[in-house]
Amino acid sequence: MTHEPNLQRTRRSGNGDAGLQTRANTIVKAADHATPLGLEDITIRYGGDKGGAESVSVVEGFNLTLHAGEMHCVAGRSGSGKTSILTVGAGLTLPTSGRVFWEGASLETMGDDEIADRRRALIGYVDQGGALIDGMSALENVLLPAVPDGEVKQRHDMAKDLLDLVGLGRRMRHRPAQLSGGERQRVAIARALILGTRVLVVDEPTASLDRVSANRIISILKDTTNDGIAVLVASHDHELVRQSDTLTELI
Amino acid sequence: MNAVQRFIRSRVLLLTAAILIIAMGLSVLIQGQSQAALNRTVDENSRGLYDILVQPKADSGVLLQPDIANGSGGINFEQLESIRGLTGTSVAAPISLVSRVTQNVQAPRLDAMDYLGYNPGLVGTATVEQPGGANPSSWPAAESVLTDSAKKYRLTASAVSSDGSSEQTLFETSAEGSVGKARIVETQTQGGTSIQIAPAEGETGIKFPAPAGGSVHNLFNLSVSLPTAPEITESVVAVDPVAERALLGESGDFLAPLEKAPPADARNAGAIGRHFESLFTSGITPKELEEGPDFLGVKLKYWAPLMSQYQQAKAKGALTADSQAIPLIVRSGTTLDLTYKVKIEELDASGNVVKEVGTATKSLGEGYLPFVSDDPFALSWPGSTDHSGLLGAGGNFNQGLYEPAEWSTDFAAAPEYSDAGTAANGAVAKTAVPRDWVTVNRLPETGLDGSKVDQTQRDPVDERAYREDLETGQKLAAPLPMVYGTFDPAAVQEAAGDVNRLPLGGYDPTPLTLTRDADGDTVEASTLKPSLSATGLASQSAGAITDYYGLAAARGYTDNADVIDAVRVRASTGGSWKQAQPEVEKLADKIRELGLEATVVAGSAREDVSIFVPGYSKDDAGKESALGTVQQSWVRQNAADAVSGSLTGTNTTLLFLTLCGAALLTGASTVSYVRKRRSEAGTLRAMGWTQGRIRSWVLAEFGVGAAMLAVAGIILSLLSWSLVTAVVSVSVLVLYAAAAFFAAQQLRHRDEIDQEPQHDERLIPVDSPLTFANRQLSTNKFNTVALAIAVGVFGASVGGLIALLIDIPRAAGASALSGLAAASIAAPSIILAVAGVLVGLILTLVTGRFELQAKRQYLGILEAMGWNPDMLRQVRVFENALVGTVAVPLGVLGALGIGLLVAPYAVLWAGLAGLVAVLCWIPIATKVVQ
Repeated sequence: MTHEPNLQRTRRSGNGDAGLQTRANTIVKAADHATPLGLEDITIRYGGDKGGAESVSVVEGFNLTLHAGEMHCVAGRSGSGKTSILTVGAGLTLPTSGRVFWEGASLETMGDDEIADRRRALIGYVDQGGALIDGMSALENVLLPAVPDGEVKQRHDMAKDLLDLVGLGRRMRHRPAQLSGGERQRVAIARALILGTRVLVVDEPTASLDRVSANRIISILKDTTNDGIAVLVASHDHELVRQSDTLTELI
Repeated sequence: MNAVQRFIRSRVLLLTAAILIIAMGLSVLIQGQSQAALNRTVDENSRGLYDILVQPKADSGVLLQPDIANGSGGINFEQLESIRGLTGTSVAAPISLVSRVTQNVQAPRLDAMDYLGYNPGLVGTATVEQPGGANPSSWPAAESVLTDSAKKYRLTASAVSSDGSSEQTLFETSAEGSVGKARIVETQTQGGTSIQIAPAEGETGIKFPAPAGGSVHNLFNLSVSLPTAPEITESVVAVDPVAERALLGESGDFLAPLEKAPPADARNAGAIGRHFESLFTSGITPKELEEGPDFLGVKLKYWAPLMSQYQQAKAKGALTADSQAIPLIVRSGTTLDLTYKVKIEELDASGNVVKEVGTATKSLGEGYLPFVSDDPFALSWPGSTDHSGLLGAGGNFNQGLYEPAEWSTDFAAAPEYSDAGTAANGAVAKTAVPRDWVTVNRLPETGLDGSKVDQTQRDPVDERAYREDLETGQKLAAPLPMVYGTFDPAAVQEAAGDVNRLPLGGYDPTPLTLTRDADGDTVEASTLKPSLSATGLASQSAGAITDYYGLAAARGYTDNADVIDAVRVRASTGGSWKQAQPEVEKLADKIRELGLEATVVAGSAREDVSIFVPGYSKDDAGKESALGTVQQSWVRQNAADAVSGSLTGTNTTLLFLTLCGAALLTGASTVSYVRKRRSEAGTLRAMGWTQGRIRSWVLAEFGVGAAMLAVAGIILSLLSWSLVTAVVSVSVLVLYAAAAFFAAQQLRHRDEIDQEPQHDERLIPVDSPLTFANRQLSTNKFNTVALAIAVGVFGASVGGLIALLIDIPRAAGASALSGLAAASIAAPSIILAVAGVLVGLILTLVTGRFELQAKRQYLGILEAMGWNPDMLRQVRVFENALVGTVAVPLGVLGALGIGLLVAPYAVLWAGLAGLVAVLCWIPIATKVVQ
């Protein structure tokens, strides 16, 4: 059986231009900094195997231009393709068709190493549930993105500041197993910001959190947009939807 | 969902049971086949032509020297009959060394073609039965390699012999003279026309020193008599032809003529000589000349040597009334390397060399027969064609040794050896103790015409006598050789078989192969050849075989003398060695009761012994030099039992090592199962299940696997009907049950709350893929240690199995049988070893899966954070390398331990293989995680 393709309904509450679509361009121009992430005609299809299972199209013809300082929420029911759009936008998976632009440059033209290097500089990705590395303290988890560039020592103070910022200044030596779900999410957000990220991609940050914890996460995300960071968040949390600048609702 | 369904759903349990059953089934099956192949090989090769070697005395120990016929005697005919009379004796074949016999090869000559064409006066005796006959048109035109007028030539005759290691020039003599084409000179005499062949004008002829006779022209050639070739010494052995044929079977048919030899009182040499002499007066047909005249039902093809030697002995007065003819079956060919060369140079009047005409060469070879000169020892002048056949073959009448052979009772006993060490696989090293020097290459005292021989033309050669002279026996009147037939020693050796081949006395001297030179350096293996004297290190098959009347004629003995060197006894019990062993042992005991030494040789095998040979050669200054190290096949008693027992042990060890790996795999699978089912057990506890019920729930699932294993074990045990299979099946079942109880015990308890302390500041900070990998491993100690142990076990198993494989040849021993037996189990052993290694590899994979999901998860997190593929690869490599670092000592020490226990000879290889296995695991595991 084939799923009906998602209907895309977009709301814009900020000053962004929802109709603007960037094109592949490997040269980062000043204007490109204003649109750090663009998704063009993205289609994501799963399945199809020799056993007879039919392919399932979860996202079809999805377009998005994310501006600096903008928080865009992708909402929708479970299985509607929210996480898939986020992982495609973060360059972690390839879409079935369509193109992804980071600061105007198409990922199609990049190799795995270049994507990894650019992702590290541009994208901060926060997994659903705030996946942390067991056996490492909150502070070490936050510093992990600095390892490839050999900047662990240089970013040490910044990591502490970020943990302070997310309200975990006193839990920085605790390990993931000793943190609550909300705390792990906040550590993951701090980790995503450690390298001066310009796009924060966050998957269901408030899922299974109490209201107080959820609001705290939402507040942190909003604060990041004030620093010019674009946030792409997937959620069906009404409060988060309400506070986002733009919204795509997958049906 | 019942236990069976749960068992099937739990793929780990299903997989474990399946692997165990497959490992058990395959291992037992392979081991069974391997054992059967081993038994078959040992059985087929452990029983040769005879089962028991009876000697008057025997050296202690289980390694027999090759010589059994040495002329020392010790067993009498009464004892032989007693052996034959024993219940259980099928064949008792005696053998003795009769004598050493020295003989001259027929006087050599150089034939230069000087064919004069048809001349009715010279071919007047030719008949129509001859190729040329009296028909002039059948005769080609005259041709010659010589010139019309005589030219001066220098002939240099030399003889060279090789022992396979180095060459030795035995003599080199030159003679000069002028020769040319012969002429037919017709002179009128009173009775008619006299036709003579005359030398060319001015021809002086070529004459070597006596006993050579000079040069002479005939119708076909100019024949130059050459210096006498060196004397050759041969040995003669005596057998009972009937018993010997029973022993050898069809390959002993060459002895049939010997059975028809006349009885002892009808062997008078004079009477027999006169009988053949009478053939000249009564007339002999060309057919008789070709086949040999009939003598008491045997066509004596080589009758001429007997007659010519009879005439010579009679002329010299050496023939007495006591002289007897000795019936002989002589050996075809020789392994003695003797090459005779004549270099021909044309000279001018001043004696300067004008032209190299060429070199004529002839070697002793297959055409050579002891006591018989198969064909004249004639060398051919370069460019010559032999036209002598135009007058037909001379038959065997032209063959023969004109000088009677010299029979000697200076027997050669076994070489004296002293021990020089034993190798790890039981191979023995010896030193051959040299005896006195003997002088060979001497010339006869007088020539054929009785003239004194110039002894200065040949330097005597000293050869080391590696054998002991025995001054026994008595000088009798010279016997005359009466050749009844020939034998091929290679055919007899083939009939004796290769593995359980005890020397058959005279036919079968064991070869000596030079392997290291005097400095101990390895040389290209070369078989040593026998020397001229037959007293040297290497010997060849007996020159001739006679019966015991022949022995009496040569050596003389009274009735029932102790002249039998050894008796080879075959037991009447048939079948394989194992089947016949009890009866053979009983028979050997009965023989021992007769006061004789009975050595059971069934179940024995050839074994190469390294022998260092000092004092082998001597230079002109008399300084002695060692030859080096030679190898010779001796005989290892009880080799069959030793090989069978050792390889069976090795095979069983391989089986158990493989199954131990399977057992560890079971343990690892169980841990994996426990981890997977822990949350399920927690849910059941939350539903109110008691600990006992949870345990029963777990055990029921394992019970299904145990039942499958039990059924498989029973079926395998019944099929193979082997105790090993039953033990293996029960062992595996016990291991499986232990794993089940462990799992149940683990799952019935509640989880403990994580009491882990806060982050330890002493930990190495994570700032690189290496430190990240280190942190991950140190955080998950249980998994890391479990994986490291598994990898160590894998390394140890690989090392142990490799060591066993390498050690199989050593464990089997050094005998020839061990090589065949080891080869027969090589393929199954390799399969078993590969199965063991695979089980070890699966063990590491199962253990590695403990953390595989978690690993993939955190690698995904790192990827999302922007770690590039190379860094992720580094993390994987470093993690596995760190595990490998922990596993290396485990693997190497484990491999060394197993090696020391089961294959000490290959213990270093075990350690190395263990190390390599662990190092190889690192990239494999890295790839699997990816």
